[in-house]
Amino acid sequence: MESKPYGFYPLGWDVRILEKHGVQDLSGDVYKGKTLFEAAPDGERVLGYLPDDIDYANPNVGEDDSLGDMPQGDYITIPHMQWMYYLPRICNHCTYPACLGSCPRQSIYKRQEDGIVLLDQSRCRGYRECVRGCPYKKSFFNAVTRVSEKCIACYPAVENGFQTQCTQACIGKIRLQGFITTPDTMREDNPLDYIIHIAKIAKPLYAQFGLEPNVYYIPPVHVPPAFLKQMFGAHVPEAIATYRRASDDPKLLGALLLFGSTPRIIHRYKVENGLAIGYDEQGDEVSRVPLKEPIYVRPLYDERYGTYRSNIT
Amino acid sequence: MTRKGKAMNLRHVLGFAVATATLMIAGPSLGEEPSFLHAIAVKGSAGPIIDLNAAFWEQAPAVAVTTQPQTIANPQNPSPAIGELSVRAAHNGQWLAYLIEWADPTKNDRIVVNEFGDQVAVEMPVKFAPGDTPNPMMGAPGERVNIMQWRAAFQHDIDTNAVDGPKPTDLYPNMHVDVYPDEVLRATDARAYMGAVGVDNPISRPKNSPVLEQMAEGFGSLTVLPEQHADGKGVWANGRWRVVITRPLAAGDAYSPSLKPGDETLAAFAVWDGGSKEVGSRKAWANWV
Repeated sequence: MESKPYGFYPLGWDVRILEKHGVQDLSGDVYKGKTLFEAAPDGERVLGYLPDDIDYANPNVGEDDSLGDMPQGDYITIPHMQWMYYLPRICNHCTYPACLGSCPRQSIYKRQEDGIVLLDQSRCRGYRECVRGCPYKKSFFNAVTRVSEKCIACYPAVENGFQTQCTQACIGKIRLQGFITTPDTMREDNPLDYIIHIAKIAKPLYAQFGLEPNVYYIPPVHVPPAFLKQMFGAHVPEAIATYRRASDDPKLLGALLLFGSTPRIIHRYKVENGLAIGYDEQGDEVSRVPLKEPIYVRPLYDERYGTYRSNIT
Repeated sequence: MTRKGKAMNLRHVLGFAVATATLMIAGPSLGEEPSFLHAIAVKGSAGPIIDLNAAFWEQAPAVAVTTQPQTIANPQNPSPAIGELSVRAAHNGQWLAYLIEWADPTKNDRIVVNEFGDQVAVEMPVKFAPGDTPNPMMGAPGERVNIMQWRAAFQHDIDTNAVDGPKPTDLYPNMHVDVYPDEVLRATDARAYMGAVGVDNPISRPKNSPVLEQMAEGFGSLTVLPEQHADGKGVWANGRWRVVITRPLAAGDAYSPSLKPGDETLAAFAVWDGGSKEVGSRKAWANWV
């Protein structure tokens, strides 16, 4: 699992493209810097780089390593003085995919019906232009088949109304997959729209590349915002502040509690009577979660086994 | 792109005429003087001509083909490593062959993410009439071209009896893998788990020739033909590739030129230096010969 600040897969993927991209102006509501398409040198389609083979050889280098000091006798405050965090990274299925733009063979396409970006395994010839062009390095070269491959967003599941495997399988219940709408058509009853467009607590990774990635991250509250801003944008402090007040906003809390509550894709939700209720595309209920978990208290003495319980709630 | 073609008459046997093409591109001169490549008639079997050391190659006149960077379609390599090819041609009444030679100090036939293979390709118009020259750069809609591409990596697979392509341990000898699908399933069942192999991608599937026969009708349209006629062989020695690419004079399908001894046609070339990370459109090419 990639962790920040020191983990990378492939090695140095983000610092290398950020260095090539140069310093960009991230202040304000409108991005004034260059996208990777605009920054492409003559003769190239996208500003990118091709990793070395060995960059993929040590996925655990830097993993879990923390930054900062924890002097003797100090105690932890928020943000932490010594910190690291996990950054699960799948293909972002970008609105403007650099892999697609890089491919001279039209082997990569973005599906109109669900936005999934696919790499045609029968058409690819292994030029590795997508590996070079994708700044997130989520197109991979398979040296055995000699063509490139990428995440398929579990399209057979999505086509049948199920969330992707990585979402379903997440034991931390920290993923939600569904369909976001554009800001001008956002719906308050779409949990992703509420989290991203209304509460604005989830941010795209390295939006300054200009690809409009469609994976949104809720920035970790324990990490110094100065570091997070370069990854998730200038509005990280507001996002963290809103997230920490989520219990004051039942709709936000409800949307967050739907994470990991159902294998089905939630298209609409509502919060009523202390419950968040999710519905699939047909309007059938697929999830029902209490905003506040009920507390059950068991007797201290277990009569069946004739013993005392160490945990009764 | 408009072109005006001027084909030259040829004497005996099969030959190739150059069309002095007017191309709207910048770059080095495309050659004012027409150059001819005569395919000499050779005796022997009527099968594919893949013998690199056949004595008749000494009799075949060599044409020096100057290559230049591909600068029309992105991405590009503005300074490709190879600037000249030496080309000879021969036919035996049934099969046509090109012997292509060039200097390349490094042999590149291992392919991993940042290592590329050496390649060379011959392009021929599917239909050719003197005075009507097709676009030499991957053809155009209605100007279909047939492209035969030899790949050093495929040659390596064939030379090392690894026609299914490399195994992970061929590429990374110290790599440990628990189990691969083809070790526990029948080969045909395992293919579904092998990405591009499962869909019979021509780059990935088991091969019986180092040459891919393809067609194109413009940039980005290159497609491997369902019926493969071309064959070839390449050997690297002393800093030089010698590659023969052979095809039937007339394969009898809509994607192949139909030729007979005495005909004239065109041939264009492209070459990639794997060591310089040349691949796809990052290549050196030469206009019609």
